[in-house]
Parts: sequence; C-alpha cells; structure tokens
Amino acid sequence: MIKTTTSPARGRITIFKSLVTLIAVLLGVPAFALDGTRLLEQVDRGLNPVSYEMYRKLINVEPSGAKKEFTMFSVKKDKDKIAALFLAPASEKGRGTLRLGENMWLYIPNVGKPIRITSLQSVVGGVFNNADILNLDYSTEYNVERMEEAGGEILLYLKAKTREVAYDRLKMWVDKKQTQPVKVECLTEAGMLIKTLYFKDRKDFGGGIARPSVIETDSPLFKGYKSVMIFAKIKKRDFKDEVFTLTFMPNLESLR
Amino acid sequence: MKRCCLAIGTVFCLFLSAMGAAQDTYTFDLAEIEKKPYHLGGYVELKPVLFGLDREAAFYKLRFYNSPQGQTLPEWNGRVQLEGSYEKDIYRIYARTNTDLRQTHSGGSERTLFQEAYGSIKPSSSLKIEMGKKVMRWGKGYAWSPVSFVDRPKDPDDPELALEGYIVAAADYIKSVDGPLKTFSFTPVLLPVYDGLNGGFGSSGKMNVAGRLYFLLYDTDIDLLFLTGGSRTDRYGFDFSRNITSNFEVHGEFAYIRNQQRSVLDATGKSRLVEKDARSTLIGIRYLTTFDLTTIVEYYHNDAGFGGDDIKNYYAFINRGYDVYRSTGNASALVNAQTMGEGAYGRSGAMRDYLYVRLSQKEPFNILYFAPALTWMMNLEDRSYSLTPELLYTGITNLELRFRTTFIVGARNTEFGEKQNDYRIEFRAGYYF
Repeated sequence: MIKTTTSPARGRITIFKSLVTLIAVLLGVPAFALDGTRLLEQVDRGLNPVSYEMYRKLINVEPSGAKKEFTMFSVKKDKDKIAALFLAPASEKGRGTLRLGENMWLYIPNVGKPIRITSLQSVVGGVFNNADILNLDYSTEYNVERMEEAGGEILLYLKAKTREVAYDRLKMWVDKKQTQPVKVECLTEAGMLIKTLYFKDRKDFGGGIARPSVIETDSPLFKGYKSVMIFAKIKKRDFKDEVFTLTFMPNLESLR
Repeated sequence: MKRCCLAIGTVFCLFLSAMGAAQDTYTFDLAEIEKKPYHLGGYVELKPVLFGLDREAAFYKLRFYNSPQGQTLPEWNGRVQLEGSYEKDIYRIYARTNTDLRQTHSGGSERTLFQEAYGSIKPSSSLKIEMGKKVMRWGKGYAWSPVSFVDRPKDPDDPELALEGYIVAAADYIKSVDGPLKTFSFTPVLLPVYDGLNGGFGSSGKMNVAGRLYFLLYDTDIDLLFLTGGSRTDRYGFDFSRNITSNFEVHGEFAYIRNQQRSVLDATGKSRLVEKDARSTLIGIRYLTTFDLTTIVEYYHNDAGFGGDDIKNYYAFINRGYDVYRSTGNASALVNAQTMGEGAYGRSGAMRDYLYVRLSQKEPFNILYFAPALTWMMNLEDRSYSLTPELLYTGITNLELRFRTTFIVGARNTEFGEKQNDYRIEFRAGYYF
C-alpha cells in the first residue's frame, strides 16, 4: 500500500497552477505567448525609449546604384504619437508627417493644410512606406502568436492586432543576448513576403540607448532596389501632447 | 509642333535615365542636421507651353480679336520663388517671394510679389500668434475649398500651387485631451480691408473677423469656420475628413453664404445684380489600391456659380461684340467682356456643378519616383470637360520634371467648349535649392 501525503502549501501551489493552466486553456493564450509578449516589449524598449527625439537619414538605392537621400527629425510620445519633419533635400524640406494611432497626415508647406495619408503609401518613394517611417512600438500593433528557438536567436511570429496595421504578419528574429531584432520579414495575411528589414551596426547612442544604427530593407516587389535608414542622436525627451496635432505640424522645426 | 513634342519628350527621357554613380557606403554627417537660426531656399521653374487654339471659341475671340493667331501658340513661362526665415527663441520671421516671367506672342511680362511675409511668436506649444501676409489654407478639398473663407481660390488645374496670402493677425490655440475628443484648436483671424491693405478681398473700410474651430473627434477631423465683418457677406461652414479604412479616406465641406451677390448678363447683354443666400458643397474620397493607384474623386456644387443660361448670355455677348468689332472696328463691348472675364466669368470653376477625378499610379513597372496621372474635370451641367494625362519624375534630387497635355472638350456654348484652347501641351522643370 502506497501512501502519499501532500502538504497544505504544496496543495495551494498545485491548485494555483491548475487554475492558471485552466484559464490559459480557456482563453486560448499559451504560456509562450505571454513570454513572447514580454520579449516583444523588451525589444521595443531596447530600440527606443517611450518618448524620444531622433534624426534619421533614408537612402533609396536603385539597381543602377543611383541613390536618393532624405534627412528627417522625428519625435515620439507614448505608444501612439509620432511626428517627423523632413530637413533635406530642399525639395522635401519642411514637409511633416504625423501619426496618431492609425491616423496619418502629411503636411506640405505650399499646400498648407495637412492631408490624410495611409500607412501603405510612401512619402519618400522606395521600399520604406509611411508605416516604416512613422513606426510605433511593435507591441502596440502586434500580438505574439508563437515563438521558436533558432540557434542564438528567437523567432517571434507576430500577428497584427487590427486590420489597419500595414503588415498582417511579421516574422521577427531576435538576438537572445541583446533582445534586439536582427531581421524582420513583413508578410501578408496569406504569408506572401512584402519586404525584409535587416537591423545592423549596433551602436551606443548614450543615455542607456544601444541599438542597431542601420536598418536595410529589400523587397521581392522591388527587385534590385534597396532602402537604408541610418539613425543618429536618439535621446529621451518629453513633449506636450499638443505637439502631436494637425495645428502644430507647421511648427515642428521649432522643436529642434 | 511635332518637333517641339519630340524635343520635350527627348529631354524628359534623358532626365529619366540620368542616374548617379553607384556607391555602397552610407554616411550620415551630423553637420547635415545642425540647426541654424536662419534658412534660405527657393525654387526655379521653366515651363514652355504650346496652346492648340480653338479659333471659334468665345475666349479666343475675346483675347485675340485684334491679333489673330494660327493653329498653335507657344508661350514660355518662368518662375522664381525665394524664401527665408530667421528664428530666435520664441520669435520667427518668414517671407516668400514669387516672380512670374512670361514671354508670349505679344511680348514679355514680369510680376513679382510677396506671397507670404509674417512674424510669429510662440510662447508655448499650445499658443502661437502671427501677424503679416499669410495663407491660412482652410478646408479639406483637393481641387476646391468652399470653406476657405480667408484665402484666394485654388486653381483646380494645379491645386498644389503656392498661393498669395492676405495681411492678417491670427492666433492658434491648441489643446489635447484624453477621450473621444483628442484635439481641440481655435484659430481666430483679423483681416483688415482699408485703402492699400488687402484691397482685392472685398469692400474697403472694414475689419473682418474669421475663425476656425478644429476637433479631432472619434478619429475624424472636423472644422467649424466663419467669416464676418462686411468686406464680404457673412459666411459659415464646416468640413470633415476621416479614414474609413487605412486606404480609404472621405472628406467634405459645406459653406453657407448669406446674401451672395453676383452680376449676370441677360439675353440682351444687360448686366443685373442677383442676390441670394448660397450654399456650396464638396464631397470627396481618396482611395489607394494594393497596387499603389491613388484615386481622388470630388463632387463640387456651388450655388453662387453661373447657370447654363447665364454663361450662354456671356458667350453671346462676346460673339456680338466680336461681330461689331469685325464690321465697325468698335471694341467697346469686347473691352467690357474682357473686364467681366477677368472677374467671375473667367474664373476656373465659374459654374455650379463639377466632378473631379484624379488617378495617380505610383512607380509603375518598378520605375522609382515615376508617377503617371490622369485628371478629368467635368462640368456636370453642360457635360464639357478637360482631360489631362501627365508624367511626373522626381528621381533626381531637388529636380521635378512634369510633362502633361490637357485636352479641352465641349460643344459650342459650353464652359470648356468656349475656352481659348482645344489642347495644351506643357513641360515643367522645377529645381529646389
């Protein structure tokens, strides 16, 4: 006859575990998704502070090797507010873009009034679209469906939280040690590859911000073309909410 | 004409294929982003135009009654815009000049003016006060903006052209809040009209007051607008813009104008003043397909515009004046008609109901920075229209090349049918610096 005894404390833990498992099963949220969500939030914070300013250069490279460059100043606050001002070339200088959640506007100095634009359009042409330029935190727009170990990396399968998000699905390879993305594939709902982002040249920007300083992208839809985004002077900074409004768009330069 | 088209096409293709040398290194020199207190820049443009004349049209007779032309008429246009600003602490001054140069059959002309010149004070991110010559740019419409009460009207043939402002004192107060209402802003405007000040706006000796209340409510941009003060009759309006989906936007404007006055000609050529309350409505969409075709469609109704009979009476007045000139040499009727043509009768969009459709394809065949477009503007009352195919290339830094042809189609006594031209071919090379 085998007797088993259970201490009251151990019994409470078992009941708690059972409840968590039951709730997870009932809600359809696997434990790795919870871990994945935490990891994705770490990835976001590793890339940028919650509120910050930064400068970027966008370079579109054509198959012939010809390049076109754009320089912009960006400010972000909270999860869903971001604005960018074009500083160069002269033909684009003064143009501003604003994103509040899924709302996006473009301000062209001569035209004056901000016009609504969409995430899939591109104000600069090339492989980067507006969603890439005015990108919010990944965890704001995507849920983690599942994650896999892949050597020194973790592969996250992300699904857009709403249909308004530019890409339905992402596959993100995350460096385990640095918890920062190495590569992101942007996919349609059916799994067709739209573009691939490569995160390169990790750099210490100061203020506790160390992240890839270059993002390269290519796309099977633009064979032979490549776009590059170079980051500079990323730093934490708080802004008033009024900065992220249509009325303020002509004044973005005053924040520099 | 063929040789001209060939030359323009060759130049366009040469620019299209002009590419820089390949380099694989990417540099970001921080000196590029250093902020300076001042900014100087500008834009130069060369625009040769070839008009294909309609020698039976009323506006041809009006312009060329004393200098008949052949089938085509070349014209050379140039433009120089210079802008500068200086910023210190909360203060900023800004100015933009515009010089238009034109060489036509009758000689050359030059016109220079300040389109904008104003100073601003920005004590906080919530408040800005401005004074000087400024374009306010109210409204959501692309081709027309009936609620743009304190601006000059846009040219629907080129809605993105920089406009000349009026001398105003204005302020912007912005407040962001949590909840369905995310943003609220208020823009009061004072627009004085006195001798030598804003002369073209309306009756002199008046201090006009205008205002705009803006709300971002439930992800919808909403403006409430008004103008009062006497230089123009009182008017009120609202506009909205909203993304239904990420690639589908709707917008609209409504303006109510009290006691709108306009002079119309009767069948005998006598002018009479008509006064009535007028409503102007614009409704439009902007839609982007998965293959990057942007479609803009706008319907515009303007109570204050001319009806079909009004405009026919004007054309008949021109034709009678032309016949009198041909038989007697007396041009007084045509001179009167020219004066009217410089006002409401000659304005683009002078009638009541229009449809505007613009299709623009971004980078077809993977040709980066290349955007062909087709614009169709139709007068819904008389079914006359203009159709404008265009090619735009912006692949060379700071250089913008546009080639377009406009076909102007309509029967006699219709708006587009009585325009001076049957077609127009133009090439525009613009360089920013």
